Amino acid sequence: MKNLTDELKQKIVQTLNLEDIEPEEIGETDLLVGGELGLDSIDLLELVMMIEKDYGVKIDSEDTAKKVFVNLEILAGYISKHSTGAGR
Amino acid sequence: MNGIRICVAGIGLISPLGCGVSENWIAIITGKRGMTPLKLFPVAQGSVLPVGEAHIHRVDPGVPRTHNLAFLAAKEALEGSPGPPDAVVIGGTTGGMLETENCFKAADPAGTWFRYHSQSSVAEYVAEKLCCPGPVITVSTACSSGAVAIKIAVEMLRAALAKRVLVGGADSLCRMTYFGFRSLQLIDPAGAKPLDTARHGMTLAEGAGMLLLEARDETDGDEACEIMGAGLSCDAYHPTSPDPQGKGALTAMKAALEDARVPAPAIDYISVHGTGTVDNDLTEARALHALFGEKMPPLSSMKGSMGHTLAASGAIEAGIAVRTIREGLMPGTTGCVQPDPRLRLNPLIEPLERPVNTVLSNAFGFGGNNASVVIGRRGVAHSRDTPPNSPYLAVAGSACISGAGDITATIQAVSEKGDCSGILPEKNFCSHLRSRSIRRFRRLSRMALSLAISAREDAGPPDDPVSVLFCSGWGPLSETYSFLDRLKSSEESFSSPTAFVNSVHNAPAGHIAVHFRATGPNITTTGGDYSFEQSLMTAGLVLRKSHVPALVVGADEFHETLSRKFDRSVACGVPPADGGGALLVTRSQRPSDTRIAALFFEHATNNASTMHSLISSLGGVERIRTSYGALFAGIPVADEDLGREQLETFCSTAGFQGPVIRYRRFTGEFASASAVAAVMGVALVRDGIVPGGFAESGAFELHGKGILMLGFGKFITAVEII
Repeated sequence: MKNLTDELKQKIVQTLNLEDIEPEEIGETDLLVGGELGLDSIDLLELVMMIEKDYGVKIDSEDTAKKVFVNLEILAGYISKHSTGAGR
Repeated sequence: MNGIRICVAGIGLISPLGCGVSENWIAIITGKRGMTPLKLFPVAQGSVLPVGEAHIHRVDPGVPRTHNLAFLAAKEALEGSPGPPDAVVIGGTTGGMLETENCFKAADPAGTWFRYHSQSSVAEYVAEKLCCPGPVITVSTACSSGAVAIKIAVEMLRAALAKRVLVGGADSLCRMTYFGFRSLQLIDPAGAKPLDTARHGMTLAEGAGMLLLEARDETDGDEACEIMGAGLSCDAYHPTSPDPQGKGALTAMKAALEDARVPAPAIDYISVHGTGTVDNDLTEARALHALFGEKMPPLSSMKGSMGHTLAASGAIEAGIAVRTIREGLMPGTTGCVQPDPRLRLNPLIEPLERPVNTVLSNAFGFGGNNASVVIGRRGVAHSRDTPPNSPYLAVAGSACISGAGDITATIQAVSEKGDCSGILPEKNFCSHLRSRSIRRFRRLSRMALSLAISAREDAGPPDDPVSVLFCSGWGPLSETYSFLDRLKSSEESFSSPTAFVNSVHNAPAGHIAVHFRATGPNITTTGGDYSFEQSLMTAGLVLRKSHVPALVVGADEFHETLSRKFDRSVACGVPPADGGGALLVTRSQRPSDTRIAALFFEHATNNASTMHSLISSLGGVERIRTSYGALFAGIPVADEDLGREQLETFCSTAGFQGPVIRYRRFTGEFASASAVAAVMGVALVRDGIVPGGFAESGAFELHGKGILMLGFGKFITAVEII
């Protein structure tokens, strides 16, 4: 799980072009939306694409997104539970 | 002109529901649903979503689908018309995108369709086919484009710039919007159910709506419906999400009612934007409650019937509003079964028969661009007798980006080596922008925001801008390419929502509005090499005292792959160049102000007497001689021979003997080069001296005179800096 959260930190910074943040600065329980990171709906949709592409996990409803994009710990948990390894 | 009425003299409609006003009207009234699984192009991956596909016949096989949709609707609007319109104003978001995508998919490097890629080529094609001599303006404010176009046309008629304007919107389906809206999860897989409890999004559709508007004397005895007024606003909130309280929508509706001189209780029916997305319908409902309170007129949405035709929707719905008034029959909201109690709107489910004198029609778009139009039966309100807006705008601040740098570096480079062209590294103009706030922007949006902030800083005392007028010949090419490239490389499995929302032409204007919280009119125009002239003309037409200070910003980015394919001048093998210019303008009347005005915009070949009307628009030969100390001539290299001939004809006919400065020779070739030239012109007029390097004759003084900036080629344009 630690590997996955570390990997997600890298990918979030890279995907969202967060130039002013180092991946390790993102805490596992930091809020993704509304916290220091300040991600918005477009960012989350960009992450939805990345997660589907890299982990083969679909997040295709707003309700699911609300439950999943709370913090890194919850996101990583959801991905590892639903991942089929089909990502590319 | 006093006491005029703006009449709807003709209507043309194409939508998934049918071709022509009658077919569309019958389908809407009978609750037909025009949604079917996508057939227009194959989808490589995933389930096929329902769309609203138009069924058109007798098309011109040599032009893209959007162009055909627009022209078919234009032909219907002009049926029985005695001659061509004086001007064409068309809203669009896709232009020739479908055909460009086909070229990319087929790896067709020659891309015979690229000449029709631009959104402005739609209005230009229609204007050419109709032999329209006058201004041709393309509005690109996403889903509000068609309604914003109506506002510009209305002001054009009030200013007596034209007597008859063809106005509307047109968009065809394409992969960009299909996959783009899908990536935003804004499409209801079961088809749009506007205002319904179970709504899950919109249905993407295509179509065209055109209105022939005529300025008629108050005393004319006809019974035509009128465009009574229109209002614009910007949320200045977020690129895609509407302001949750609906403040922007409320402002636009209030502005439209005020412009129409109709109080809210006098509205008989509301044609809501009602896309069927959760957020749109909720915020629109809040705005409606704030405006109408307990006295909500009957209302409905047409988007469960024909889907969302994007740029066309505002114009189509204005056309349907005319029919609603004539028939005394209000459409129902097809697709809505169980109205959402949280909206507290009680929408019409079935059509309602009752006399209708006035309709309020809403259109809202990405970038927080809102427009509302009031359509009415004749005689509901008094004709207006307020004077139209002056084309002259006072310049309070300015900024430019060229290959050499800012305005100081640009003028220095020209005076030292006669050249300021090139590609300025982004770090040179982004240093004053917060990296967090521009992380999602690529080159064009960064350039536009940087220009806006610099022009504001240059202005000093005036307040922050209220309105934003942005223009670009080609829009955000980096995002467009990135979106299409990712779609292709993933075999249509993945697309980028960020690239999609930032690829729309009005994205930079939205970013500028958010930065300054500029909630006034926010209009993006596009018109190839004449984009800046369109923007300046639009600014003169729509900006009232309450809308200033305003920013007028024009910029284009060079893109290694796309610029050479799309832009005919760049395709001539010239060195890469890009940049832009921004002006912070006010309605100040102080004699010491430097002022700028777009005074002329005509089609060069549709009008045999262009040169004479140009000279008379400028006040005649004597005024030209005494007013202008220099002529800035913009001749796109692709039109070199034609442009040089036009320039020579102008100089000999007007007897102009002052220095002629061919500015594209030092700015380089890009669509918004005239924005850079205008900012240089403002600086030179203020200084009163043109240093060496600009004109072949060396440095010279302006002796209190201004600069005349003429654009040549396909169109002839005139901008005065004085």
